[in-house]
Amino acid sequence: MVDRIRLGLAIWVARVVTALVRSLGLGAASVLPGSVARRIQPQALRLLARQYGQGVVLVAGTNGKTTTSLLLRSMFEDHGFSVTHNATGANLVNGLTAALLADANWWGRIDRDVAILEVDENVLRLVLPEIRPRVLLALNLFRDQLDRYGEVDTIARRWREAIAPLENATVVLNGDDPTLSEFGQQLEKQWEDLARVQYFGLNEPDRYLEEIPHAVDSIYCPRCGTSLNYRGVYLSHLGDYQCPSCGFAKSKPRLNSADWPQILIGLYNKYNTLAAAATAQLFGVEETTLRGSIREFKAAFGRAEELTVEGTPVRILLSKNPVGTNETLRAIVELSQDRPHGATVLVVLNDRIPDGTDVSWIWDADTEKLAQSAGTIVVSGDRLYDMALRLTYSQPQPGAGARIIPEADLDQAIKQALAAVPAGETLYIVPTYSAMLEVRQILTGRGIL
Amino acid sequence: MANGTPLKLGWLYPTLMSTYGDRGNLTCLQRRAEWRGIAVEVVALDRDSPAEAFAQVDVIVGGGAQDRQQELVMRDLQGEKGAGLKAALDGGTPGVFTCGSPQLLGHYYEPGVGQRIDGLGVLDLVSVHPGPDADRCIGNMVLKITASRLAADLQKMLGRVPYVIGFENHGGRTKLQTAEPFAQVIKGYGNNGEDGTEGAFQGNAIATYSHGPLLPKNPFLADWMLKKALERQRQEEVNLSPLDDAWADQGRVMMLNRLGVQESA
Repeated sequence: MVDRIRLGLAIWVARVVTALVRSLGLGAASVLPGSVARRIQPQALRLLARQYGQGVVLVAGTNGKTTTSLLLRSMFEDHGFSVTHNATGANLVNGLTAALLADANWWGRIDRDVAILEVDENVLRLVLPEIRPRVLLALNLFRDQLDRYGEVDTIARRWREAIAPLENATVVLNGDDPTLSEFGQQLEKQWEDLARVQYFGLNEPDRYLEEIPHAVDSIYCPRCGTSLNYRGVYLSHLGDYQCPSCGFAKSKPRLNSADWPQILIGLYNKYNTLAAAATAQLFGVEETTLRGSIREFKAAFGRAEELTVEGTPVRILLSKNPVGTNETLRAIVELSQDRPHGATVLVVLNDRIPDGTDVSWIWDADTEKLAQSAGTIVVSGDRLYDMALRLTYSQPQPGAGARIIPEADLDQAIKQALAAVPAGETLYIVPTYSAMLEVRQILTGRGIL
Repeated sequence: MANGTPLKLGWLYPTLMSTYGDRGNLTCLQRRAEWRGIAVEVVALDRDSPAEAFAQVDVIVGGGAQDRQQELVMRDLQGEKGAGLKAALDGGTPGVFTCGSPQLLGHYYEPGVGQRIDGLGVLDLVSVHPGPDADRCIGNMVLKITASRLAADLQKMLGRVPYVIGFENHGGRTKLQTAEPFAQVIKGYGNNGEDGTEGAFQGNAIATYSHGPLLPKNPFLADWMLKKALERQRQEEVNLSPLDDAWADQGRVMMLNRLGVQESA
């Protein structure tokens, strides 16, 4: 009873804070109300999360959280569920609390069916015991924002420790990711319940990469440390693999990927599609509904978003780490390889907290194909010269390939890039996270969005 | 046009030791040679490479590794391969070792979790990780080169000794014993966040926590290494033709301004 009263009070105060923040124009109030509420009712997250009749889905992973969550949300809604989702990407503890609070009434009651919460990699272990999700969906573990969190191995170890004690939870894992596959196989043994460990992945050898890209994080057997044998790689370290020493191999996916369509462009979105579909099936969503949701899906904020700016088609492709960038550049090069002028690209590299303050990852991205193609690349952002150098060092002689134009002023850079697009072609904007917000703001300022 | 015997650029454990864009150092050396018509060949020094390969390269590039990978590397370097690498460095082969690799050139490295890993003992230094929950040393850095021979060479090449800019991200703390520091920390943490030293310099090897990566941001260091390597190969003085480094210069000015550092002449 006391818990309930405190929860009510927490919600009341959080509501006032939300109203204040919004009315003063200080932001969307996606984090602060959560922080305030947790101070009044430290159990807020637990008390809110347990009210969802269909439970909570936690979505974790380096790349694809937002896109996958949005697709899963559509699938649930098309099935008839009412859904809570931390759509703003506020994925730390206070952001998660704020998202649940927003859908509670003044008494702290929630009458939605299911919650989808994107969770930051490092926060996952902290919220698991409080939220006790019905499903944990783990998309992938790439090298991202290492400056904040230490390294892939450490993250994997912490995930394993946090998930193991959860009763009644099901995990949906990327079986093409050796670290996550091993993680699932351990859980199968520990839990002795195969139904609680599900996998998604690709089985389409015709989509293998020609060579293993450089930005590869873990191609060593997570069990015994031997170099894994890959029959083929789909992207980064995701692929069809086997350990020659201990026999560890990729886990079998729930769905046959070749039978499924995908959202948007790029192989990474095929993974996102399969992840959402495999998860939704666990909640009884029919296959015809799933296929309908996939067909109708629109791009998430800044992720493969398509607009028209002054008559020119513009695609914004958020790019925040080597793996995502490789996939984005691969898609751009493929889409423009038969064009006489090549691709026109604006790359905006920032190094603020949401981007990761370390930009050295650009040297792990395979920029060669784009830099050696016939196109034009305008470069801007806080670290434009780092990016300009990365692109130049991708050329056999400086200038042998794409024209590289550094322009510090972003407004100016957008103008130049738009002007460089040949008639009927598309401008690809490849920004880091904070750069994407800036690009959108400039376009909005011109009344475009 | 490429001419002469190709310069062999040895890359230490390309898949095990390339954590933070470290291959940028290799790419930089390779392109700056190629752009000048100097033939180069990249030689992977890996677990399946013969021990001789380690002693037969003209330049050595080493990057960082996660703790587990670092352990695999150290195990592989026991014996002949390690001896070859040590002989090359002792003999004056130019090298650049960033991030984790200086740790394995020292006497030992104690990871945050697990057992002490013995190093090659090429550099007189030791590294200790204070544990998985200790703060990492992270951020942009500015360094003033203090290694006397390197500073003198740069002074001769450029007429000045520019500040080095970079980015560090390391859990381990390094203490120099008799090894000469590579630089003095102007901004950042450096070897251990306490004594103001950064990296080590010995023979013609630069060891530093500054990744970012080091060479494309500081192309004069790449040119110094190429010059040393060519002079050792050709046994005569070599003067490299200048390249257009305007973007690297502009990037440097931008970073120094941002960090409020005035570069002394």
